[in-house]
Amino acid sequence: MAEASEHKGRVAVITGGSGAIGGAIAERLKNAGAVVHVLDVQPSSLPGIRFHRADAGNEPAVDAAFDAIGNSDPRIDYLVCCAGIYRPVPFLDLPLGQWQETLQTNLTGYFLCCRAALRFMRPQKFGRIVMFSSMIARTGAADAADYAASKGGVLGLARSLAVESAAENIRVNTVSPTITDTPMPRAVLTDEEMESRKTRIPLGRIGAVDDMAEACMFLLSDDSSYVLGQDLRVNGGSTLW
Amino acid sequence: MVARDARTTVVTGAGSGIGRATAVRLARRGDAVCACDLSEAGLKETAALIRSEGGVVLTGILDVRDQAQVRAWIAEIIGQFGKIDCLFSNAGVNARSTVADMTLAQWSLLIDTHVTGTFNFCQAVLRGMLERRSGSIVITSSDFAIVGVPNAANYCAAKTALYSLTKSLALEFASYGIRVNAIGPGPIDTPLLRAGRTPEEFANARAGFESRLPIKRLGRPEEVAAVVDFLLSESAGFITGQLLQPNGGQVMW
Repeated sequence: MAEASEHKGRVAVITGGSGAIGGAIAERLKNAGAVVHVLDVQPSSLPGIRFHRADAGNEPAVDAAFDAIGNSDPRIDYLVCCAGIYRPVPFLDLPLGQWQETLQTNLTGYFLCCRAALRFMRPQKFGRIVMFSSMIARTGAADAADYAASKGGVLGLARSLAVESAAENIRVNTVSPTITDTPMPRAVLTDEEMESRKTRIPLGRIGAVDDMAEACMFLLSDDSSYVLGQDLRVNGGSTLW
Repeated sequence: MVARDARTTVVTGAGSGIGRATAVRLARRGDAVCACDLSEAGLKETAALIRSEGGVVLTGILDVRDQAQVRAWIAEIIGQFGKIDCLFSNAGVNARSTVADMTLAQWSLLIDTHVTGTFNFCQAVLRGMLERRSGSIVITSSDFAIVGVPNAANYCAAKTALYSLTKSLALEFASYGIRVNAIGPGPIDTPLLRAGRTPEEFANARAGFESRLPIKRLGRPEEVAAVVDFLLSESAGFITGQLLQPNGGQVMW
């Protein structure tokens, strides 16, 4: 792997950075010497992180947070989008309000943060963006139509932005995790149900937070300098396309 | 000197381009690199590069299509290093033609070198990996496993077969803790990309790539080597059966 020092002094913004995966990425970047800003509705418990309370789907809140970042740091090198909500509901019971909230946070929130970050990245001719999608974007899942639609939208957003920004030395990629051991699935699945998911995964375990953080770190690093518009599927072999 | 916990890594097609860059990078990270190629001259240069940096390299001049040669060389490696941790199956060749004029020899050269050559190496190294319940393999496929291209039906068929082989191997050996992934490089500035083209034809091809590619430049072999390094490593410990494409944005899917 590339030396950790490549991140030293770089400025990173992580949405959903108080969550399990976003927090692990924030910690890695901080330990590598980056200046780390977290945007989240929940406070971050990580020491040394600059926390901005903001709902990623709220345009004025996102713009205000990026203005505040701009006031303390003259540049933004990395944007990692992890902010997301997942509330399983059978399709015919899915209220329009929840459908809109899921799309607002999981997809429109990514758009708003990318737009705000690109205002820094374009003039400086450098940027790396990693967005978290999900294997559910490809496979679909019962009771998750809103989540699947939002994560599928992320793939389209990322590819379009990758094409549009590549010539300006801005690389955009996605990570698609399968079920990962975080509070998000544990909020809706029993321990037995979590355990049983292992049997569907060829490598014989569910994902770990570290697996997703490592994939993100690779896509932020110089090691992926010719990788753009790609979806890195970190799923233990559960889906091979 | 090889560190006691160093990996032993086999790299095929190590005499030039992506294979050479990967062999050099992996030696730099401390692997004992077993590098083979059909071309003795190219392989000597790769070995000299690795040794000049103090790395450990064992070379083998062989034809990946020849199962007996492959098995004998793998046995030699096991004899010297005791185990094989990683395989980068990368040996490749090209012979451009329209399908209408393609000779059976042109077709078979590509299918046998890429596909059967990779089968030979995977089978030879997997025996030991199965016993040790550990191993990581990366296979060089191509963007052309996903999209076609004219005048390269043999290349596209071979590279798509390699992606299929990757997925089958990943599923067959995941429960043994063995991971198998493919890379799908886009246009990389290697001797293979230049082969069969005059300098003028290559310049035209390059200009075409640069205008079409979102990143507006050809890739460097070192940029592919970094992706192979990641996939072989524990950082990719939950990634198997996947195609990762260092392709400058040529194909996104």
